[in-house]
Amino acid sequence: MRRPELWRTTTFRLTLVYGAVFSAGVMALLGLIYASAAVFLTHQMDEIVIGQARALHGVSSAALPETVREVETQDVRNVNFYGLFTPSGVWIAGNVRALPRDVPPDGVPRELREKGFQPGARALAERLASGEILFVGFDAKTLAGLRAIILSSLIWSGALIIPLGLGLGAALSLGPLKRIGAVQQASLPILEGDLSARLPTSSRRDEIDMLAGIANGMMDEVERLLWAVKSVGDNVAHDLRTPLTRLRALLYRVHQEIDVSDAHRDMLDQALSETDALLARFRAIQRISEIDRRKRRAGFASVRLQALVEQIGDLYEPVAEEQGLGLVIEAGVAGNILADHELLFEALSNLVGNALKFTPRGGEVRLRLTARPEGPRIEISDNGPGVPENEREAVLQRFYRGQLEREVPGSGLGLSIVAAVARLHDFRLVLGDAAPGLKVTLDCWPVAMTH
Amino acid sequence: MTRILAIEDDETTAREIVAEFSRRGFDVEWVADGREGLVRAVSGEFDAITLDRMLPNVDGLTIVSVMRKAGIEIPVLMISALTEVDERVRGLRAGGDDYLTKPFASEEMAARMEVLLRRARSQPRETVLRVQDLELDLVKREVRRGGREIALMPTEFRLLEFLMRNSGEVLTRTMIFEAIWGYHFDPGTNLIDVHLSRLRRKVDAAGLEPLIRTIRGSGYALNAAP
Repeated sequence: MRRPELWRTTTFRLTLVYGAVFSAGVMALLGLIYASAAVFLTHQMDEIVIGQARALHGVSSAALPETVREVETQDVRNVNFYGLFTPSGVWIAGNVRALPRDVPPDGVPRELREKGFQPGARALAERLASGEILFVGFDAKTLAGLRAIILSSLIWSGALIIPLGLGLGAALSLGPLKRIGAVQQASLPILEGDLSARLPTSSRRDEIDMLAGIANGMMDEVERLLWAVKSVGDNVAHDLRTPLTRLRALLYRVHQEIDVSDAHRDMLDQALSETDALLARFRAIQRISEIDRRKRRAGFASVRLQALVEQIGDLYEPVAEEQGLGLVIEAGVAGNILADHELLFEALSNLVGNALKFTPRGGEVRLRLTARPEGPRIEISDNGPGVPENEREAVLQRFYRGQLEREVPGSGLGLSIVAAVARLHDFRLVLGDAAPGLKVTLDCWPVAMTH
Repeated sequence: MTRILAIEDDETTAREIVAEFSRRGFDVEWVADGREGLVRAVSGEFDAITLDRMLPNVDGLTIVSVMRKAGIEIPVLMISALTEVDERVRGLRAGGDDYLTKPFASEEMAARMEVLLRRARSQPRETVLRVQDLELDLVKREVRRGGREIALMPTEFRLLEFLMRNSGEVLTRTMIFEAIWGYHFDPGTNLIDVHLSRLRRKVDAAGLEPLIRTIRGSGYALNAAP
């Protein structure tokens, strides 16, 4: 399972979005402040230039150049600009030497876009009664200062908000991420088939807890349904065994005690063997449930696999001979294991019995016990038709019988019993290809060691 | 006449047990209660007991262990709905001679009882078993039929010994599997049949009167009739 990445978490994304919105808000606020201040300051500057121009109206044209120079010397901030020009535009006095083109002499304050002035500077030019042109300008130094302050505020706040937002996003995401990790870990056994496992929840009752709660509720239902399905099967098997046993007893008694013709006797034999097959199947269903129910390892003892394998060979050798098959037993030296002797024998017996059943005359079945570093390995291989790869999982399920198997008698439960025994022991059961044929491997060590 | 005590609280099962034993000419007494069962079991009037594992008042395990402590060694066939291997082990450890799980075929129950009764009556010191012209020497590990030696594999030897010790009795496949291999799962019909037919080929060679009989729908028996 893939681990979730930090920057993909909802918390992280939310923090980023929140950070972006917050930044935009800050920018908008500062922009609004700047715009309002600019409008206000422009108005102020217009008043200033109008006032200053007006103050010079009363001065006679002869004294005007001198007054202009005087006013200029009083301007310590160096924001006021003056220019006095002849009606034809020739400079007379003032620190503005040429009449700016975009300021016509109509007495209306305008923005001054000239080199040497801050953007937003205001100026007006007007024709005096003498015909001379007076130019008054006011540089926008305050506005420029304000702009600089706002810009640097933006830069600094950006420099703070971005890493802070990222950091906060990461920090806030770590907690939920850890819990998601815990949920992921807890879901592994469920994915591997342990339906009793549940996702962890906290007392916070947050959205993760809600989701875990929903998932747990669904798991409860799945478990309940599966259990119901399983127990229906078990109960049917249990409830039907008694009447079936009585039916068989009756058939047997009829068979033994009543004088019937040969044809009828054959029918009775057939009825008996059908009843026996049914009983065997129900016994097997109950057997699987019984093995699955055990869960504990009380019956476990030290088992010498070599002896077990040799005993299987002894039990099945005549069967192989009768069917014209070779049975090769290779019982290598392998250590003792802790197991349920009888169940393990039953499992191997089923596997070898199956292999013999499905291998055509002239074939060979091989039972091998080898020592692996992790523990003993038992392999049963044949050169029969094998099991197609896509059916290998399914054949371990109850009642599953492959296409070919349907032609051979059997309950279809042998491999399910083997699977149940493997589960109880925590051994790994693998169906593989013996090329040609089926190879069943039983690794007699905890499944976790293989992963 | 052989007297059998059936301690069984389920009436239907009890009726089957009584019917089966009566059919075979045994005298059967049925008791449904555990306490009463214990009183009857230690009375010394019976040759064998079928004992339900779970009974009202006093349970089957207690009854059999009290009997054994009192020195009563008659065969006890324990019958139980508890199928777990542990239960079987507990039943046998408490002093039961055999353990049968419900539901059972009544002829299987009777066959097991016959074997238990037979074992209780037999002479344990016998070293040579004889059935008609068949001879099995337990000390020399030799088998002869009509004086001619038959070579048997160890498993075949044990199989024949089991058949001969219970000659005349019907032995089911499950009983044979339990006795020879010591396991209690369902081995399937074919497995035991193959072993028996191989043994039969050696014991009942061509021209000889067949001794090993197949009882259809039931199991096998070694002919005891002369």
